Amino acid sequence: MPSDPNATPVPFDVTLSNGLRVLYEPMPWLPTLSVTLLMPFGSATDPAEREGSANVLHEWLQRGAGDLGSRAFSDAFEDLGIRRGGGAGRETSTLGLGFLAADAAKALPLLADMVLRPRFEDNEFEPAVELAREELRSLEDAPTQRLFEALTRVFLASPQRRSALGTPEGLAALTEAGVRTDAADRVGPRGSILALAGGSTWEQLLPIIEAAFGEWEGNSLPIPEPEVAATGVHHVPAETSQLQLGLAYPSAQVGTDEGYLYSLALNVLSGSMGARLFTEIREKRGLVYSVSAGTRALRGLGYTLGYAGTTTERAAETLQVFLAELERLAEGVTADELERSRTGLLSSVVMRGESSGATAGRLASDAYFLGRARTLAEVNRKIEQATLQQVNDYLAANPVPPPTIVTLGQLPEGGLGVPAAAAAEGLA
Amino acid sequence: MSDQLRFDHTVLPNGLTVIGEHNPRAQSAAVGYMVHAGSRDETPDIAGVSHFLEHMMFKGNERLSADDINRTFDELGADYNAYTSEERTVYYGAVPADRAGALLDLLSELMRPSLRQEDFDMEKKVILEEIAMYQDRPAQRLFELANERFWNGHPLGNSVLGSKESVGGLQQSAMRAYFEQRYAPGNVCLVLAGNYQWNELLERAEAATAGWRDYEVSREKNAPLHKAGYDSVADATLNRRHTALFAPGLAVEDPQRFAASILANAIGDGSGSRLYWELVDKGLTDSAWLSHESSEGAGAFVGYLSADPGRADEVLKRFKGVLAEVQQGGISAEEWRRSQRKIATSLTFRAETPLGRLMSFGTYFQTLGSYMSVNEMVEQVMSTPPEAGAEILAERPFDASFVMSLGPG
Repeated sequence: MPSDPNATPVPFDVTLSNGLRVLYEPMPWLPTLSVTLLMPFGSATDPAEREGSANVLHEWLQRGAGDLGSRAFSDAFEDLGIRRGGGAGRETSTLGLGFLAADAAKALPLLADMVLRPRFEDNEFEPAVELAREELRSLEDAPTQRLFEALTRVFLASPQRRSALGTPEGLAALTEAGVRTDAADRVGPRGSILALAGGSTWEQLLPIIEAAFGEWEGNSLPIPEPEVAATGVHHVPAETSQLQLGLAYPSAQVGTDEGYLYSLALNVLSGSMGARLFTEIREKRGLVYSVSAGTRALRGLGYTLGYAGTTTERAAETLQVFLAELERLAEGVTADELERSRTGLLSSVVMRGESSGATAGRLASDAYFLGRARTLAEVNRKIEQATLQQVNDYLAANPVPPPTIVTLGQLPEGGLGVPAAAAAEGLA
Repeated sequence: MSDQLRFDHTVLPNGLTVIGEHNPRAQSAAVGYMVHAGSRDETPDIAGVSHFLEHMMFKGNERLSADDINRTFDELGADYNAYTSEERTVYYGAVPADRAGALLDLLSELMRPSLRQEDFDMEKKVILEEIAMYQDRPAQRLFELANERFWNGHPLGNSVLGSKESVGGLQQSAMRAYFEQRYAPGNVCLVLAGNYQWNELLERAEAATAGWRDYEVSREKNAPLHKAGYDSVADATLNRRHTALFAPGLAVEDPQRFAASILANAIGDGSGSRLYWELVDKGLTDSAWLSHESSEGAGAFVGYLSADPGRADEVLKRFKGVLAEVQQGGISAEEWRRSQRKIATSLTFRAETPLGRLMSFGTYFQTLGSYMSVNEMVEQVMSTPPEAGAEILAERPFDASFVMSLGPG
């Protein structure tokens, strides 16, 4: 493997005539190949009153294609020992594969069959809907996931606020014909991204991909502009042993110049066990086991989600310290903190660069969010070049705005010490 | 890729085993101390001490404070953590290759902690929050309960976390005594992986651990007397019925354990398995699986099922029906081959990173005393014949299942 960052291969990046964008990063030392097919359909573009259509569509796609019924189609993947992954999301949905690079000529056509020739058999529809219902029901026993669903629902105003899982009413309204129409409207090559990374060559892969995906036709729907709702404080009553505490605020988009400055600062706040949140909330006060803040992205909107889980009697202090740390960011970070943060980010670039799955995922998300795939050399350069002055100027000019706060569990009797935690309707 | 790999192995004069799998093409290096001490080595009065101690190891010694430790990990850009299981406690990290020596030095400092009283008191609060967190995760809560009952007094049934009561009542002196009984160099394996410099790291390890005094450590490996049958616990706050299933399996020393893993995969993998087609494909549940876990001296098939209370009985009946059917009729050669390939793929992907390799060959070596490359491991899996699975089924393991449910009642 080359150790000179300048020798890091630039990802291959072409758009087929049908609009499908294909990216590949060679990792010639690996016997494996990871593939992510990202398609621009998700809960944000679910038809009105049909929340969950994308989720069911994503499942139905995998239940038989081409000449093969559901069972035979699945067996074809299993025969090659292929790892399958992916899922339906808010803006996009993915299908992911991992296999031995030598099997690319067999594995990629199977992936193509899923989107080019899905069978959408009637008898596979109801089980796919029922599986989606089961996922929703399981959420009821998963307080942390419930918290983030509730938080996103009140933090955003645009349709991205909808859960990727759908709603019971939306799922109940789905029909075979409706989801088939939905597929015709939303599963197409334009706006879709096929990202690959691993131990093959572009010369070997491109003809396989062109043959498999070249005939793909279909439409895409525009993704609505993400929009943030008015800030609020909400509570979801639940009988839990810890109070789940979540907060959200808009922040710089990853991959933009400001995004690099913010990532460096956020790493000071929450990148490690030496970071401010962990030190102040867990190490010094023993208030939590788990506390974190991390960035998320929608196209055109970056945001930050914060989380802490703590027993009710310690919740007010936990929130108070958390908010104080967010506010303190505007005062800037120290030179030492910045250097540690920079080292951490650079080092994670190296280590994620060893994994084919992480690399394919990075190519797909770069192409989706930024419209182009960054080279590792570019990422390194941006992280290396950010100065303390730039980071602190950015933080002073962009103080963390008052976040939307959602709690789930049992509130302390004295409240949380933030503006009245009104029970938000539709959150439970 | 394995033609370039080199296995390194030595035992230092103080008894510490040092092993490594050198990969000249890696950009990172991973370093880990694997301590052969886990919840199975605990007595009931100190339940949870292995895991609590794992947290305390990050609190420093007379040379380094907890802040110093956290800061130094950050200065190295380390991806690091620790975990505790029934079998062992592992402290590990990965860094860009040129910092492996400094990472080793830091981890070596961790291994000789002060265990200060004020840190102990503060960290106890964190552990109690961690226990509270798992209380809100019904599957984890269920497995703690079911594991204890299935192992029926055998130490493999000990809880890794311990209880609110056992951790709450734990004294710092008891933790120190446990540390002094189990963290002898002869009971520890230092594991290296990726692009490290063997001679340099060996010198550093010798210098850092020269003062470690060795003494005899042993582990009880009595044969278990499993509990079978059915138990349930009601919790009206839950919305699903969560069910765990345990059945006698194969110990890690058993050469047929690969067959047990292939068998469990064919029955209960997340995709394409018997349980998948019977339950998940039909939308009867979003989660039904079976795996096989080998421990020293004993093993178990472990399964899980989540179901809507309204049809939980029927879904569980189908789950058990799958096990009975496989036990009676076996699995086909095709199913066997698919599971072999899936496991091989999974092993190969895990080997992409030095940290992934460290965990695989390190635990293997610590348990069995020999090295196995990823290619050898894949070869072992691929050459295991279906007859080996049939032999396991001939013992009728699922007749001795223990099933436990946690749900709204």
